[in-house]
Amino acid sequence: MKQAQKSLQFRHLDAGSCNGCEQELNALTSRFYDIQQQGIDIVASPRHADALVVTGPVTDTMSRPLSKVWEAVPGPKLLIALGDCAAGCGVFQTAYASHGGVAGALQEPDVVIRGCPPTPQDILDQLLRITAAKDPGPKV
Amino acid sequence: MATPINILEETGWIDFNRQQKQSGAQLLALTAFRDRQIRSHWLEADGHVVSATFLFEGEHFPSLSPHLPEVAWDEREIHDLFGYIPVNHPDLRALIRTPRWPTHFHPLAADLPRTPVWEDAEPDNPAREVEGEGVTIMKVGPTHAGIIESGHFVFSIMGENVLHMDLHLFQNHRGVEAALQGLDLSLVPPLVSRICGADTVSHQANWAMAAEQLAGHQPSETLVHQRVLLLESERVLSHLNDLAQIPAGVGFQVANQRALAMKETWQRGLFSLFGHRLLFDTITPGWTATAPMADLITLIDDLNQTWRGWRTFVEGHHGFQDRMRDTGTVKRTDADRLGAQGVAGRASGLAFDARSLSPWYHDLAIHTSLDAHGDVAARFRVRLDEVEESWRLLRKLATKLSQESAQDAEWQPPQDLCGETVAFTESPHGLNVHVVGLENGKVTRYHIRPATFRNWPVLALAVSGTAVGDFPLINKSFELCYSCNDR
Repeated sequence: MKQAQKSLQFRHLDAGSCNGCEQELNALTSRFYDIQQQGIDIVASPRHADALVVTGPVTDTMSRPLSKVWEAVPGPKLLIALGDCAAGCGVFQTAYASHGGVAGALQEPDVVIRGCPPTPQDILDQLLRITAAKDPGPKV
Repeated sequence: MATPINILEETGWIDFNRQQKQSGAQLLALTAFRDRQIRSHWLEADGHVVSATFLFEGEHFPSLSPHLPEVAWDEREIHDLFGYIPVNHPDLRALIRTPRWPTHFHPLAADLPRTPVWEDAEPDNPAREVEGEGVTIMKVGPTHAGIIESGHFVFSIMGENVLHMDLHLFQNHRGVEAALQGLDLSLVPPLVSRICGADTVSHQANWAMAAEQLAGHQPSETLVHQRVLLLESERVLSHLNDLAQIPAGVGFQVANQRALAMKETWQRGLFSLFGHRLLFDTITPGWTATAPMADLITLIDDLNQTWRGWRTFVEGHHGFQDRMRDTGTVKRTDADRLGAQGVAGRASGLAFDARSLSPWYHDLAIHTSLDAHGDVAARFRVRLDEVEESWRLLRKLATKLSQESAQDAEWQPPQDLCGETVAFTESPHGLNVHVVGLENGKVTRYHIRPATFRNWPVLALAVSGTAVGDFPLINKSFELCYSCNDR
């Protein structure tokens, strides 16, 4: 079995998603995709995360929690916008309580995964692209 | 269509709605309008819809909540979004608005709602907490440790017993009803399809039904069958998800993983049949996505093999069954008083299922699964039966549809469509209602009342008095979506 050399631990934050992106993200943990085997895992605390995955157009009520969670992720870190809403091109972009995606509410995301919602395979492919490009750091 | 009644005085308004509830009618929606009107729609036992309107001047209207607890949240929402004040409401705290909303910002009071300048404040509303020696306050959310939607819960606990759970939801409030307002009717479908990722077909069907009702257009039997097929496919998808989540609530990973795998198989099947894993964009007025019926039957047959093994496994697992039994019990009287919907109602002995009163299902005898226990085990079992019932309906529809060849002539609602109507379907979570007003082809009011909106207060009741460690399990047994609740 090929050993995962480069890992990615991410924390998820819903900022006004319809639950579509969440369902597809959850599917990654099923045996069909089995992300742990690829060195990717979902962590419970932002303190343990290499990346923050944000879904939804960022509602006003979630804008502050989003900033706080992002601050709590130690650097170096990646901001990932998952789905069209977070990417700033969803259907609720201009709703009155929406900040129009991650870029409008916080900052430009490092990675954008488009789709409404993106399929689990799309998500996995993009995450693997991140781990492949990652500098594994000095050998200990 | 709805029989309308106008009421101008307070006691008449309260009496009318109270009598409807007492007669066993089902509340569809309580909807406010910009011209100082509050309208209630009721579905009577024979399938007839009646509505009453309270007209007022100024800002005040008589609250129904002291007489009809199930509308307590509706009236709080009206207060936040329109600025109308329900007089004698027992608990008029903010439901949706936060301290970040400018004082006089009532988004739906305007013809064209706009984004305000938000106040520089934290979005937290004060919680209702129990005070006293030995009481601990435990706050959960709004962000969570797993992959779930955002919501904030404030538990007052003593030892490990929950005394009270205060719900602070609506973190996902985007302003969907306002976003629909003013839209040309041709632009409505993609938004309606994304109100909720778990109940999307039901929302799409409601919009199609509303537009067709207003235009006086009768969809063909074939089109209706194709829509019911999608509604039932969505029920299977959502129930498979919930049936996977309930064992996860007690760390029963084998049952969780096996059910997640069934869900994935079903989603892959739906993708190859209808082009979308969650069935987004499959119904518009006059149109429905179609698929080869033989493939659907093969998909059901294959999955049924795995399903039987899994059902025997979880039903025979005594540890799991023990954890579910007598946990998070909702009594029938409470379910009725709070207007519990869908599985949450049927697992507490309320027989209501909107499908049995829907003209779309008139030629499909629905077997309603009931359980009187009201606990997690009952909600689990009702879902098990409903998946099998949906598969039975799907096979029946697939057979019918493979024999029907007539295609509907292409139809679009007229560009100058006007009027107001109410449309409803039974979503996987229960009764889902849309109240739609159109003027000259543009939306003037779009009110969405999903089942989860009624069920959240029921969940809060189910949790109080139980051990706090049971919350994940009880929560999963309701598996309420936040998105269509928060809108």
